[in-house]
Amino acid sequence: MMHSSVERVERLNGDTSIIRFTWNEAVKPGQFIMVWIPEVGEIPISVSHVGNPKGITIKAYGPTSRALVDIREGDRIFFRGPYGRPFFLVPGRRLIIGAGTGMASLLPVIDSKTFGIIAARSKKDLLFADAFDEQRRLLVTDDGSAGIKGIAVDALTHVDLNQFDMVYVCGPEMMMKSIYDFLRPRGTSAQFSLERLMKCGIGLCDSCSIGGLQLCRDGPTFDIKELDTMEEFGRSRVLESGKRISMGK
Amino acid sequence: MPDLSVRLASGIILESPLILASGILDENGYSIKRILQEGAAAAVTKSIGIQERAGYKPPVVVDLGDTGILNAVGLSNPGIDDYHNEMKIALQAGKPIIGSIFGATVDEFLQLAVKMESYGASAVELNLSCPHVKGVGTEVGSDFPLVEEIIASLKRRLSIPVYAKLSPNLTDVVEAARACSKADGVVLINTIRAMSIDIHAKKPVLSNYYGGLSGPAIRPVGVRLVYQVKRETGMEIIGVGGIENGGDAIEYMMAGASAVQIGTAVRKYGRSVFMKIKDEIHSFMEREGYSRIEDIVGAALP
Repeated sequence: MMHSSVERVERLNGDTSIIRFTWNEAVKPGQFIMVWIPEVGEIPISVSHVGNPKGITIKAYGPTSRALVDIREGDRIFFRGPYGRPFFLVPGRRLIIGAGTGMASLLPVIDSKTFGIIAARSKKDLLFADAFDEQRRLLVTDDGSAGIKGIAVDALTHVDLNQFDMVYVCGPEMMMKSIYDFLRPRGTSAQFSLERLMKCGIGLCDSCSIGGLQLCRDGPTFDIKELDTMEEFGRSRVLESGKRISMGK
Repeated sequence: MPDLSVRLASGIILESPLILASGILDENGYSIKRILQEGAAAAVTKSIGIQERAGYKPPVVVDLGDTGILNAVGLSNPGIDDYHNEMKIALQAGKPIIGSIFGATVDEFLQLAVKMESYGASAVELNLSCPHVKGVGTEVGSDFPLVEEIIASLKRRLSIPVYAKLSPNLTDVVEAARACSKADGVVLINTIRAMSIDIHAKKPVLSNYYGGLSGPAIRPVGVRLVYQVKRETGMEIIGVGGIENGGDAIEYMMAGASAVQIGTAVRKYGRSVFMKIKDEIHSFMEREGYSRIEDIVGAALP
């Protein structure tokens, strides 16, 4: 287990924080770390800032993420990694599509030419919208409090997909399934960063597997063509017990 | 051309002696199917109980590098009824699947084993050795009269073979194996009780504090127990514990194991570890002039 001292905590809204800490290890866009809060728990988190200081962006949803959101400057942060296959970065023009905290893993992919579709429940939940100039982004909210009222896939009819060399997608799995269903028949080049329940992070415990591939090791990033063979994608997932439940509406 | 296939005394035929060990990539049917397609000759499922169990909260593993892995996953499983669907998916690979089961009583083991047989398992492996969950695993495995009763009742009801996976955390493993004399064979060894403390956090890392050690560090313990149990009981043995390469597998087989299981090495080499070890065994046999696996099994015994 590695550890570092928290240098800075930026509280974005009531329940999301960016935690910055020094760690002299090369981390590539799309990779993640397992962060441990002693006596509380351990969770996988994408590295949202891959330069130094490194950064993770976390929203509170359970005890470990709650403790992380509330971490203070000077506190110790424990972690292991980096893990996972990074995004394959193309030199050309990139479109990123991020929903909710999915934007955290996409942040390192953004360059000065990248166009962004940023989706969230409501205006206050939009993450890293300011990473783009206003003319290089589309905002989408479920409640219409900012940008287009709808879901991420609704924004795709407003952009010309032919101008992009690669699309990068991250968000809840049903959101990614709708994007996949839109892009796949069009033959668009795309990569998706999937999210599943994860326990070990090192390819052994089978909690995060999809289509027999381990998200923690073969992923979390997958090419759109790799999703074709995953019968579970957007259809079923397993609980902590391994019990399979169906996803979606 | 060396022949790597194995025929166990129980009649199970394997294309090579390399079986996926219980607890590694074998909870989800699609994972089992893929690892069989990518080179494992058979797979043992994650240990399945009567009821759904979430297992322990992470951290459930500690990566100890070259030493191995410390784990306390806590017997997470969907319960035997839900596991039927995973078995259907896994069996699409067309290779033998051995159903690992854990319980606290004769009746629980019987219910689980009968269901595994009906799902299409080629054998059952009794988890008598999980070191970190109360009331099951080693606690059952160290009650020898109970073990004898479980195995006797399973042998009466099942037509598929019964293997018992034993713990190295017992004073006398040979006695434990003798309690399994009616089984078709024993699987040696499960993990060794262990723990790890983070000295900067001043806390045990595993949420359960105690766990089981697997990987290279336990291989000499496993080899010794396979050798000793084979020598003193003559039972069929499947060897497991720290096998990472062809030489390690051959060492276990020379000690008396008819086949071996691979688990922790998946961390270092990925799922392709099965093809890697198969190639290494093949080269060894060619170099040393062995034509069949059975010529290796027990070669180091007196």
